[in-house]
Amino acid sequence: MIDINLLSKKYGEQTVLDIDLLNIPSGQTFGLVGNNGAGKTTLFSLILDLIEPTTGVVKNNEVVVSKDERWKTHTAAFVDEQFLIGYLTPEEYFYFVGGLRNMKKDAVDAALEPYKDFFHGEVLGQKKYIRDLSKGNQKKVGIVGTLLSNTPLVILDEPFANLDPTTQIRLKKLLKEEASATGKTFLISSHDLQHITDVCDRIVVLNKGKIVRDEKTSSKTLKELEAFFQEQP
Amino acid sequence: MFKKLIYLQWKSFFRAAGVATKLAQKILIGFGWVYLAFVFTGLAFFAFFGVQDDLGLDPLPTVSGLLVYAFVLWVVIRYFIQKMPMVHVQPLLTLPIPKKNIVRFGLIKSLISFFNIVNLFFFIPFGVILLREDYSLWGVISWWVSIGCVILATNFLNVLLNSQDKLLLIVASVLLGLFGLQYFELFDITAFSEPVFMAPYHQPLWALVPMVLMLLSYRWSFRHFLRKLYMDSDQMRPKNEVQRATELKWLDGFGRTSFFLKNDIRLIVRNKRARMAVWMGFAFLFYGLIFMMDIYSGAVWQVFIGIFVSGGFLFSFGQFVPSWDSGYYPLMMTQNVPYREYLKSKWWLVVAGTLVSLPLASFYLFFDWEIYLAILVGGVYNIGVNAHMVLLSGAYTKTPIDLNSMQRAFGDKKSFNVKTLLLSIPKIILPMFIFYIGVLVHSKLMGFILIGIVGILGFALRNLVFGWIEKVYQEEKYQTLAAYKQKNT
Repeated sequence: MIDINLLSKKYGEQTVLDIDLLNIPSGQTFGLVGNNGAGKTTLFSLILDLIEPTTGVVKNNEVVVSKDERWKTHTAAFVDEQFLIGYLTPEEYFYFVGGLRNMKKDAVDAALEPYKDFFHGEVLGQKKYIRDLSKGNQKKVGIVGTLLSNTPLVILDEPFANLDPTTQIRLKKLLKEEASATGKTFLISSHDLQHITDVCDRIVVLNKGKIVRDEKTSSKTLKELEAFFQEQP
Repeated sequence: MFKKLIYLQWKSFFRAAGVATKLAQKILIGFGWVYLAFVFTGLAFFAFFGVQDDLGLDPLPTVSGLLVYAFVLWVVIRYFIQKMPMVHVQPLLTLPIPKKNIVRFGLIKSLISFFNIVNLFFFIPFGVILLREDYSLWGVISWWVSIGCVILATNFLNVLLNSQDKLLLIVASVLLGLFGLQYFELFDITAFSEPVFMAPYHQPLWALVPMVLMLLSYRWSFRHFLRKLYMDSDQMRPKNEVQRATELKWLDGFGRTSFFLKNDIRLIVRNKRARMAVWMGFAFLFYGLIFMMDIYSGAVWQVFIGIFVSGGFLFSFGQFVPSWDSGYYPLMMTQNVPYREYLKSKWWLVVAGTLVSLPLASFYLFFDWEIYLAILVGGVYNIGVNAHMVLLSGAYTKTPIDLNSMQRAFGDKKSFNVKTLLLSIPKIILPMFIFYIGVLVHSKLMGFILIGIVGILGFALRNLVFGWIEKVYQEEKYQTLAAYKQKNT
């Protein structure tokens, strides 16, 4: 699904990301961890063509993202609140992003049905604009916005941050179900090692812009990751 | 304490996106200042010697008599154009800075404004002339002080007007009432203005009145903002807003562009800043009335009026494309839409605004059919050429507009500023030039026809031009995204 080759991003002298090779096959649930400044958001921004690479390319489904916009048809992403439109109600926002992917209004309504639990009755039918929702509820809107249109690739930057414990648990369940039932590819970053090892079947650790670990998730992974981050100076 | 706040301001200017263009604009504006200084100084000379020698009147009472107009005009212009000083308040609230100082700083910063300083260019030379012409020293000083206090009072009043709609209504109705009384000759304010402004000259003690007025207006706005310095004060919206214009089914005919159109309409209906742009556009409809005065009867000015009257909304809204969407630009850039459709919806919007303004402006027919012809031709030109031009210059305008922000007490709510006005000059000069060629070659009518032809040509070539604009937007994409990340500038 995603093929990265000799990708780097420099700001002046400072290299913030430097990846020789990274292939993410279709259907994988890919987890990205790393301390602040490790380059997680930079990597996602490069994949989404929101910033320009200094060298190298990102291919999404064989298409170079900075050259061709076709990747947008099968990719949905939620990185931060800049992916929300504050003056819309959540419903209007869903109709908007769904509509851009050719979903009719009823189709969007139907697609929202499975997420009622996840919203916990705090998002839909509230007569509130997104800008007036709490940070956590805004996040729910953003996450569901990427899921409802059934794109094969979903990119979520720190989806667990800002969510209440109940919702974190529900989100984990949701992501696991989506991944196994629909065969979607997920790219998820998180600071929560427990959550990310629970959800993802592959974990990549970034440190100072480089990939330092890359492995399939097993029962030992969480312990190893904890040990790794404890040793960091 | 103030030093630290000034330091913050300094940093926020130099670390903002697009400092280079900002600096260039500042330099341009600097030249404008020099020019204005000359103009106003000249005006001061004219106001003295012109009135004395040509009209044979005593300049000081005559000028004092006219001051009331100047101040009323000042209040109106200030309301529409003067930008509120931006102090990004929220991060300061929890720091050990007394709230009073934050407010004081904001208010004092509001004094360093074009609208205050430009007065000095007139009143200082005028006062100096008065002194040289043997007017009483103490009289002139106390006259100066009174005028200065009134100017400062209008400044603070304006700060208040910007945040209190009720007060705005009161002031607007008082002004309209006075205007009406004057117009129907029931009451002459100038007769009233002269003795009032002359009083401090004759008796310096009277200068205390404007001083007290100024202090009161300062106190008032000071206390107002001090009360508002909470994150949940009514400076911010009430949480449960009424839903308006939700479905907008009638737009579905536009196909995929309709999704954007719907959003844009919601943007306008639900955000104060965007609404302001519409009101500005509406106000421009009456812009031509100012030019009914004889000074501007030149034919070229008719084109100027035509462009502005028909294109008010086009300019006031269009100049901030794509800044209106700055808050969620990354979303737009990752959605399954080509730039073209996004731009097209904006294009439709400004074109629709222009089309609506044409019948609305038909009242100009009562004055002069030629003016209305200029407006119609201006409308054609606006649709054909300027609609593209504003989109194009939008690609380079990288100031984010924070629609969601209700965090600053001294919010920058203005959707109109002097800098962006500068950017629109080429859009206006060009048609005036074309018209001039037409006049040289044949006649005024020829000039209008030429402008119309250029407009129609632009319209016919719109697909080509769109492709070009799209390319520019794509080239600017990464820079724009980076600039929009900086919210607090």
